[in-house]
Amino acid sequence: MTQPILKSFRLGLTMLTATAAILAAVPGVALAQTRAEEGKMILVARQDPGTLDYTKSNLTALRLWIPANVVEPLVYFNKDGSVAPGVAEAWKISDDKLTYTFTIREAKFSNGEPLTVEDVIYSLNAMKASPVSQNSAAYQAVTAIEKVDDRTVKVTLDRPSQNFWKGMGSTAGLIQPEASAETIATNPIGTGPYKLVSYTSNSSFEFTANENYWGDAPAIKDVTVRIITDGTAGLNALEAGEVDSLPVITIDLWEQLMARGLDKNFSMVTYPQIGEPTYAVINQKLDPELRQALAMTIDRQAYNDAFGASWGAENTCTFALPNQAWYAAESPESCPYPYDIEKVMALVAEKGYASTPLEYASLSDVPDLSLPADIMVPTMQAAGFNMSRNAIDLARYSQLIFQGRPPQFDVTVMSGDADPTQWACADEASAGWSTYCSAEYTQALADADEALTDEDYLALMQKSADILRKDAVIVPIIAKKGVGLFDPDLKGFVEPRVAVALEFAPLHW
Amino acid sequence: MPVYIARKLAFFLLAVLVASIAIFLLIRGAGGNVAAVILGKDATAEAINALAQQYGLDRPLFVQYFDWIGNLLQGDLGRSFRTNEPVTDLVVSRLSISIPLCVSGLILGLVIAIPAGTYSALNSDKPLGAVIALLSQVGIAVPVFWAGILLSLLFGVRLGWLPTGGWTNWDVSLWGAVRSLVLPVISLGLILGASLTRYVRSAVLDVMNQDYVRTARATGMTRMQALLQVGLRNAALPIATVVGLQIAELIGGTVIIETVFSLPGLSRMILANVAAREVIVVQSTVMLIIIFVMFINLIVDLLYGVLDPRVRLAR
Repeated sequence: MTQPILKSFRLGLTMLTATAAILAAVPGVALAQTRAEEGKMILVARQDPGTLDYTKSNLTALRLWIPANVVEPLVYFNKDGSVAPGVAEAWKISDDKLTYTFTIREAKFSNGEPLTVEDVIYSLNAMKASPVSQNSAAYQAVTAIEKVDDRTVKVTLDRPSQNFWKGMGSTAGLIQPEASAETIATNPIGTGPYKLVSYTSNSSFEFTANENYWGDAPAIKDVTVRIITDGTAGLNALEAGEVDSLPVITIDLWEQLMARGLDKNFSMVTYPQIGEPTYAVINQKLDPELRQALAMTIDRQAYNDAFGASWGAENTCTFALPNQAWYAAESPESCPYPYDIEKVMALVAEKGYASTPLEYASLSDVPDLSLPADIMVPTMQAAGFNMSRNAIDLARYSQLIFQGRPPQFDVTVMSGDADPTQWACADEASAGWSTYCSAEYTQALADADEALTDEDYLALMQKSADILRKDAVIVPIIAKKGVGLFDPDLKGFVEPRVAVALEFAPLHW
Repeated sequence: MPVYIARKLAFFLLAVLVASIAIFLLIRGAGGNVAAVILGKDATAEAINALAQQYGLDRPLFVQYFDWIGNLLQGDLGRSFRTNEPVTDLVVSRLSISIPLCVSGLILGLVIAIPAGTYSALNSDKPLGAVIALLSQVGIAVPVFWAGILLSLLFGVRLGWLPTGGWTNWDVSLWGAVRSLVLPVISLGLILGASLTRYVRSAVLDVMNQDYVRTARATGMTRMQALLQVGLRNAALPIATVVGLQIAELIGGTVIIETVFSLPGLSRMILANVAAREVIVVQSTVMLIIIFVMFINLIVDLLYGVLDPRVRLAR
């Protein structure tokens, strides 16, 4: 009676076994060695940028792969502070630092079209008009971008600007062909060592060496960047030898990375450029003493400990990363409002803060930003504050917080670019999403921008960092480092030179 | 039958209209807009408004709706704001992954469920029948992401037989594409198989308790003979309903499997575009899914008539 079913079971079992045997007999996933012999490399990206238009978007998921590899800036700033040629093979800066003259190299874009002065002028103007403030901010002092001859461009400033010169080595200085501007969102073109072969949203980027590149050909010809949004899946792929590197491992995976022993089996690098400060934002409309009391409830060590990887993040009260000269790790000198729950409880009782309803807005779909809320909200409540938590997703957060007028929160925590100029503010009416607006801070930054020497610049940046700390609106918690795992045979990693961009060209087997 | 089909088609058109309005309003009601997502947190309100205006998002809602639905009726699904790619191209490229994934997963689920559920029903009083029923319950309780991660660790990391995830396009390597789908299909098939086994078991048990089956058995037929000769069609009715619903659910509902195995399928595309507030991409894709689901339902309804003449006659 049940024979046909049992037969069907046996048949199914036989088929499954046969399939498994066939699959097992087939060579497994391409091993790193095979890829090395074929001049290939596979990296992992954790996020999909959705668009590759770097003039409109400043997503890290985009800036990791396109700048420096495909599209180059006018110059490169090396780690030691020296400047190397990029699209510009030479440059001259006037003594008053008001005129920059760039000599454009004889080169071709990856599509075979020649690089022209017109392309450079177009690109600089595009960045000047960019809605991305990090790009356009570099051009605030620029009054003219002019052609001198077929290989020379002159940029005139109305005042000296450190931001302009540094921007020419960052995304603000990226050069694209004017004729390909229409397709920049899916196929950016540049003069870099690689060209983009394809980009499939939520799947992968495919790069190959640019045969028109002006410099030495890269050691690895073909590079694939697989988009694996699930962190565990990314680590699985690395462990299985399917990919050669996870060059950017987010903080939520650090504990897992060590528990699986991957830090021992692979080359682990930590580097500051791709790191981010995580900081609390306390609404400036609150009383300064209340802000200071709230800042004193932030237990930096508890947040750091929650990730179980103290090597990856440093406690700090300074809005900067360790590669920025004005950075300072947490210390009594650099932390005006250190964690002190007993003092806060006394203040809450004394000032009657318990009667002030406060709202903590947390970004629910970013793990390392919802975690601070898990730690901070109960602490603030335990200290006696009347704090409620509002968890919202990114798009809604963008609308309520980033574009909200007036700002709809009392406390929130964000992680992002370490650029201190984002907190500059001409007047209170134009305060950004953070609510922070300080004439003193903005002036200190402006003075730093106009500094004629590096020493003056550093001193003024330290002054501005100190103002920011004392105002207790932008309250840094930790400085996360960039963390990457590489196949031990994949050598040559260099720290990013163009913002956060990971350069493929120096890598070799 | 023609009246029945005409009535179904009228209902179909009305449902599409209602669904289109609902989708249009829901995605906008979620708040945020694509311009703000593209420009990021430091963008000024002026820059966001300018980009939103460039995309036509500042127009009155009813203008945007009729513009979208008018284009849709002409077969134009629109374009992505961020990349300017036609939605049709995006959907087609994702379906080349989602359809094989869903169909293969469903077939595997049925291959597991039909014999297992039938055996379990016919032998409900025996230990193996009870074990199958228990296993199917356990299978239902297992979260699909957990099954996926375990399979990935076992067959990808430990044994190295199959890729842990990722996608090799069909035109790059046919074999590579098949290998990319094996673990996701097994994960999906096992979970589907577990839940379908319950339905098959229940349907077969119901049929076996019917008078006509008892009568058939009284003529000397074995339980299997009675099931195959007089009970199968009746048992197939609820199973066909469930399978139809599963297909509909699967085509846009495999987001967890696609995420765990990093497959750029339709579900992940929709999720990413909802997060980015790519309203045209989301609206058009979801509309296509709704039309597909309703088409499947229509097929299932028509199939009822084939499987059970009483249904056809009643109509």
